[in-house]
Formats: sequence, structure tokens, C-alpha cells
Amino acid sequence: MKSRIIALSAILVLLLATSSGVANPGGKGDSNRDYTCGGSCHGDPSLSSTSTAIIDVEISSTAYSSTATEISVSISNLDTSDNGLVGIFLLGSKNGNDDHPEDHGWTIIQDPNGGLSNYVEVVSSDNQVTVSWVLLAPSDIGTKEIYVSIHHGSYYNHNNKAFIGETEGITVNIDSIPENYPTLAEGWTSPEERISGDSSTIKIRTVNTESLMVYWRLSGETRSHEATVEMVADQEWEVSLPATLGDTRIEYQMVASMGDFSNTMPWLSMGTSEPYFDGTSLGANLQSIAFALIILGFMVSLQSWFAPRGVKKIIDNTAEVEKSMIENNESSASELDDKYWSRLIKSEENPGWLWDPIENEWVADPAVSSGGDE
Amino acid sequence: MMFMTAFHHLVVGLVAGSGVIMGICAILVWLSSYISNLESSKTTLDRAAYVASIFTMVVIPLAIISGNFSSTNSGGAIFYNKFLFSGIALGFSASYFVGRVRFGPELWNHSSLANLQMISALFALTSIMILGSIGSKITLGESTLDIFPFWPDFMNSIVINQWFSLLLVIFGLISVVISLRSSTIKFSLND
Repeated sequence: MKSRIIALSAILVLLLATSSGVANPGGKGDSNRDYTCGGSCHGDPSLSSTSTAIIDVEISSTAYSSTATEISVSISNLDTSDNGLVGIFLLGSKNGNDDHPEDHGWTIIQDPNGGLSNYVEVVSSDNQVTVSWVLLAPSDIGTKEIYVSIHHGSYYNHNNKAFIGETEGITVNIDSIPENYPTLAEGWTSPEERISGDSSTIKIRTVNTESLMVYWRLSGETRSHEATVEMVADQEWEVSLPATLGDTRIEYQMVASMGDFSNTMPWLSMGTSEPYFDGTSLGANLQSIAFALIILGFMVSLQSWFAPRGVKKIIDNTAEVEKSMIENNESSASELDDKYWSRLIKSEENPGWLWDPIENEWVADPAVSSGGDE
Repeated sequence: MMFMTAFHHLVVGLVAGSGVIMGICAILVWLSSYISNLESSKTTLDRAAYVASIFTMVVIPLAIISGNFSSTNSGGAIFYNKFLFSGIALGFSASYFVGRVRFGPELWNHSSLANLQMISALFALTSIMILGSIGSKITLGESTLDIFPFWPDFMNSIVINQWFSLLLVIFGLISVVISLRSSTIKFSLND
């Protein structure tokens, strides 16, 4: 009976705890996710509601297999929470599992935040947001569908519900790639970011490409500039893009050509990261102790330097003490000698010898040069 | 380590408090030679600065140790600077303490030594203020010293090779020992 009460109490406590929780109002970050995060909290109709947002998707209705294509998503009429955060999914299906576009043959070359995720979180501005993914179309020929889903909070949201919006399937016909069509090599992805101030080249791998032109611009600019491109191996190119600093994002667009064919690819972007800091905790501690000791040594030296002159001489009487000790020793030794010799008695029977009545022994007389046994 | 984070915040507060007492009192003692109104408080201020310097020397190493294990230590340049300024503050606080022990309270009667003590205390105080400002930058993202137009960029730091730092530690130790041995006789300036 007691154990049942404990078990029931535990269940009750857990149930009460769930009602007071709010599912990640600050977002969970970009990642690869299935529809409604795999049917988790937001998939529950009691915890979610339909979003009023309008989702527009732009993608070419026909794409050549294994070529780069862009999907642009514009969301308007958004009613978000204070932080304006919106989560956007790009999906190949809406099953709740295996919904990632890569499960349906697509390859993400770049997501809207510069990464390679099918789910991104962005902050809306003026109740709207526009993002785009760059994808490599599936290699299978035929019809493919792609979906966009969103979730967000709301300013007036007393029930802490998630607001879900989604599109119907957008059909894309995948055609066979024309012979010798210049495009990117399968598996190539755009670098996410470069270290601040790094001007090293970017490697690009292509197929069927005779010449490659690359244009770059800074994020927000409309005017583009041509970058220097060098072919380093067969279908391998090195592109020199200017170094960026701070939070700058640089965008670049490739135009691959082969004979009469020219393939203008979508704009890709690359962020800037802080330079790598190579200081360690141990190094910091050692350097800190070194600074402390050097400062202390320097200041102590200065103290000695500024100490008033002559003080040391006044205090240090070692020489005088040593001198007086030697003098005392010398005088006491001579007094002892006098007492000793005065107590010795001369003997007629033993010339050259003196009798010590205290020690009861004969002592050679220093006044007689030859004494003793002779 | 939650405990270390809370303990670090506590110790940092103690460093700031004792450092400010040491710095302000030392400056006031130094000023008492020039401002007659402060003459009567000279002994009290000197003792307060002396005790505060001892306390500062105890709590700065504690702040460094707890900072090592604190969850706010993400290992960036700004944290590296925190360690460096802790070392500088410790060096100047120790210099103040050693000077006071060696020469006694009469050092304030000798202008050169008094100036040196005041500089030690002032530099220790400045280092502690910079330390506090870096801490504020980390936790709040801003500090009151941001009003200065010349405020240095603490997102970068001077990193010395670890072996070279170890060499500097040995060099520092030797220099301290030599400096102290060159004037080992403890004497009072009254004699």
C-alpha cells in the first residue's frame, strides 16, 4: 500500500511539473530535425496552434540532377514572442521521421545561417523574414517534393503554445543533366566561416567545367566584384576572396562554363570567426606569477636604492665588536699565563725543572735552555 | 563547478574592497605630508593600508585559484588578461607590504620612499580596478570604465610561451632574493 502511494505521488509530481514547463522559448539552435522535431512537444495539438504567418517559397520548378539550386523562403504576417525568434524547417516529407531533405536525395550546400542544417532559427524583423537554402538537386530523375514548416511563439501567448505553420509539397522536376553540363562536384560544401583577417584561398571542386568565374560582395551590398580564380588541378580551383574582419559576411557566386553552357549558381555566404586564441590556463598562471615576482623584485630594488644613505653604517657595528673580542681574549690569556708560572717552585735537586704543586707534576723550566733528562 | 563560481564572486569582492582600502589609505598617508589636516590620522591610515595590503595579498591568490575553476572561465583572451592583471596587482601589493615591513611607519618621513610606496599602492589599486572592469565586461557586457576613450581592447592579449614564462618566474624569484639579500639587515629609520 505504502509503495503504491509513493508511486502515485511521484507520478502526480511529474505531471504537475510538466504543466509548469515551457518548451525552449529561447530556441534550441540550428540542427538537423524532422517535422515538428520528430513529433515531440510541438506535434501535440494541445500544446500547439496554427500560425497566422504566410509562407511563400520560391524554387525553380525544374532542376538538373546533381546541380545547385536555390530555395528561397519568405515568411510574412508573423506574430512572434518578444525575442522575435522563428524556427524554419526545410523538409523532404512530413512524416515525423526521415524528413531531412538528404533522406530524399537533396544535399544542403548551405543553410541561411551559413551552416549545413535543415532547421535554422532566425530573428524576424517587422513581422517578416526571408531566408534561402542552396541545395544540390537529387541525382534521381523524376518528381520530388519539398516542404517548409515553421514554429514560433506569440506576444500574447498565455497558454505557452507553439504556433506551427507549414506549406503543401512544392513539386520540383528533376531532369537529367545535359551532357557536359558544368556544375559543382558532388559532396562539395561551402565553408561556413573564415578566421578574421584570413585571406587564404577557398578550394572549389567542379565537374565538366572549362572555366570558372567567381563574384563576391559583402552582405547587404548590391555591387559585386570579380575574384581571382586559379585552376590548381583537374576540376579543382582556388578562389582568392578578400579577408574579412568583425561580424562581416562575404557572399560569392560561381559561374561555371563549358563550351556553350554557362551555369550561374546561387549566391553562397561565408561568416567571419574570431581568431584562435592559443593562450592556456597554465600559461596564464605562469605569466601572472612571473609578472608578480618581477614587479616585486624591481620595487624592492628601488626601495633599497631610495633608502637613506649611511643608515647601514650606523647600525652595523660588527667590526667593532670583533675587535673588542680579540682584545679581551688576548688580555685574559696573558693574565692566566702569569698566574701559572708564579705558582711553580724551583728545585735544587732537579735543575732545569719546576714543580707544579697543584697539578703535582714537573714542568720544564723555560729559563733553562737544556733541562730534563740530561 | 557551482561552488567555485559563487566562491570566486565572493573573493573578487574581497579583493576589490581590500585593494581600495589599501590604495586610498596609502594615498592619504602620502598626502598627509603635504596636507596638515591629515597629520592627526596619519598613523591610523598607515596601519589600515598595511593591514589591507596583507589581506589583499591573501585574497588575490584565492581569486586566481577560484577563477581557474569558475564556470565563467571560457579560456579566451579576456580571461587571460584577468590573470595577467591579477599578477600585476599581487606584485604591487606585495611591494607595498615588503616596503612597510622593511622600513616601518617612519618611511613616510622620507620623501623618496614615501613616493615609492604611494606608487606601489596606486598601481595595485589601478590593476584591481581594471580587473573589476574586465569581470564586469564578462558578466554584464559593459563596465563603468567604458567612458574612457582610451580604454584598451581586452579581447586581445600578450601571450608568452609557457617555457619562457617559467624562465621569467625563475628570473623573478632570483631577482627578489637578490634584492632582499642585498639589504638583509632589518633596520629602523629612527636609528
